[in-house]
Amino acid sequence: MINLDSKKDIRILAYESSCDETSTAVVKNGREIESMIVATQIKSHQRFGGVVPEVASRHHLEVITQITRKALEQANVTWNEIDAIAVTYGPGLVGALLIGVSAAKAASMATGIPLIGVDHIMGHIMAAQLTAEIAYPALALQVSGGHTEIVLLKDPTHFEIVGDTRDDAAGEAYDKIGRVLGVNYPAGKTIDEWAHRGNDTFHFPRAMMEDDDYDFSFSGLKSAFINTCHHADQIHQELNKYDLAASFQAAVVDVLAHKTIRALKQYQPKTFIMGGGVAANRGLRDRMEHEITLLPENIKPKVILPDLKLCGDNAAMIGAAAYNLYQDGKFADLTLNADPSLELPYADSMLNE
Amino acid sequence: MKILSISTATNQLSVALNEDQRVITEKNERDERNHSEHLDPLFQEILTENKLTLKEIDRFAVAIGPGSYTGLRIGVTTVKMFASILHKELVGVSTLQALAAGALSDQDLVIAGIDARNDNYFAGAYLDQQEQAPICVIDDGHYHIDTLLAAIKKYYEDHPVKELVFVGSGFEKQQKLLEQLEIPYRFGTQKQNEIHAGLIGQLALQEKPVDADELLPKYLRRTQAEADWHQKTGKPFGSDRDYVEEV
Ligand SMILES: Nc1ncnc2c1ncn2[C@@H]1O[C@H](COP(=O)(O)OP(=O)(O)OP(=O)(O)O)[C@@H](O)[C@H]1O
Ligand SMILES: [Mg+2]
Repeated sequence: MINLDSKKDIRILAYESSCDETSTAVVKNGREIESMIVATQIKSHQRFGGVVPEVASRHHLEVITQITRKALEQANVTWNEIDAIAVTYGPGLVGALLIGVSAAKAASMATGIPLIGVDHIMGHIMAAQLTAEIAYPALALQVSGGHTEIVLLKDPTHFEIVGDTRDDAAGEAYDKIGRVLGVNYPAGKTIDEWAHRGNDTFHFPRAMMEDDDYDFSFSGLKSAFINTCHHADQIHQELNKYDLAASFQAAVVDVLAHKTIRALKQYQPKTFIMGGGVAANRGLRDRMEHEITLLPENIKPKVILPDLKLCGDNAAMIGAAAYNLYQDGKFADLTLNADPSLELPYADSMLNE
Repeated sequence: MKILSISTATNQLSVALNEDQRVITEKNERDERNHSEHLDPLFQEILTENKLTLKEIDRFAVAIGPGSYTGLRIGVTTVKMFASILHKELVGVSTLQALAAGALSDQDLVIAGIDARNDNYFAGAYLDQQEQAPICVIDDGHYHIDTLLAAIKKYYEDHPVKELVFVGSGFEKQQKLLEQLEIPYRFGTQKQNEIHAGLIGQLALQEKPVDADELLPKYLRRTQAEADWHQKTGKPFGSDRDYVEEV
């Protein structure tokens, strides 16, 4: 037996700046958050009804040195106690990513501490590792502003996409229908709250639900929703916004749950994980937990739903994923660049279609 | 004093090491994409060649703008982090002042500019001050060529100079308008039209260092989204910092 106590702790300082949050965190052994700072720009982008990339990049730069210092201070550590510096290098907005990447590389150069580049989506999924230990293989439902994927985790660093959205991401759909209802960007949280006060009276379409794959489509749902609202507008009919929200959410949750459960039955992973901003959705969390309790005992996975504050963009999840890469010896060098369209690899089953 | 200086403001990436006034090395690289991949390796190259580490640098200097927004941010982020982590001095130098410094001569007015498309320029005008940094007589700004030339003409009427020197990018295509000024002028040489980190280092020697947290690019332009929002709502722009909150 290896004596785990005698092993040196691995501490990672992580950066995340892929969209409209600038975040730093110190994470111990990939599991324990020693500090996490999140500076959000939502107030700024609400002026424009969505994220403006150039504005986002400017804001990231305004706080980067301050939140670096703060993360170390709050964790009560110095640079000497940091074993690696991790950073999201994609996917995301290129100008925004470049602030984190430039800062992390500069920090690595100034301190001599090794650098690790992290895929943002791997980060979202690894938020679960900060809540509980993941047994592999695992299956993740990644639902965020730009992604809706079912991901198979063979081990802590080898992920494969087995299902994907063909058009809009789930979070994107929430934000778009939110705009129609006059809800400020990002709309997901408010729509979720409204959904719990209404009923599914509109019966919007559940696209691709019965298809023989693990893919999704939300643009049809979005159009159906918008058409319903416009039509009511034209005939001066007032629709109940809670019922609208409940109907929309029911359609989203139905397809997500239905297909994920089918994937769980096929892949029979040891752990089920949810990641991304939409993983904070109460309707989806409750539904997934419930459906999994109904699975036969022999294929029932352990369920890890990340803390609500770790579902949205944050550096702690990047630190968690980076720990696994650290253990695998996967380091980056000073030529690391932002890759705005970075993607996890697709499973062969997806490529052969 | 050892000064490490950079410009990522244009597609020319420039890094230099100075010992006080003297430029020890300057490396320049043309790079059409963003400078992210090349900047740090170039630093490393200069340090290795001179058997130095970053810790031995006393002051970091950077072209702070105007220029490519993304480029500026890569440079500024990098030196901010260096200075903040290593507790070293940090200075931001106007990109246009640095351009002008390469083309100064007695009795000429140097107009430094960066093509901002559609006949717009990030530009400023500078005069030689011998031992001191060139003095700015037309403020760095985002100008339409007509506005810029009107400002130059007005300056010339009050302060006749021998010749105008246009350096930077995009002035050649304005030859017709320049002729109409009826003031002797010339264009900078290719070397003068590029930004040299060595000059940034020299200019930085005369500047007061600033707090690394406070150093930000001088974009000289609001984003279109902000301008539209301001016009639509009539609300003041407000301080950038008020829009970012810790949660
Ligand atoms: N309770 C909720 N229910 C549904 N959606 C939510 C909820 N909370 C947040 N969201 C949505 O989550 C999204 C933001 O998530 P996240 O920050 O992970 O996405 P992103 O970083 O913009 O995109 P990606 O991670 O895919 O690149 C927004 O679309 C937001 O509306
Ligand atoms: Mg995200």
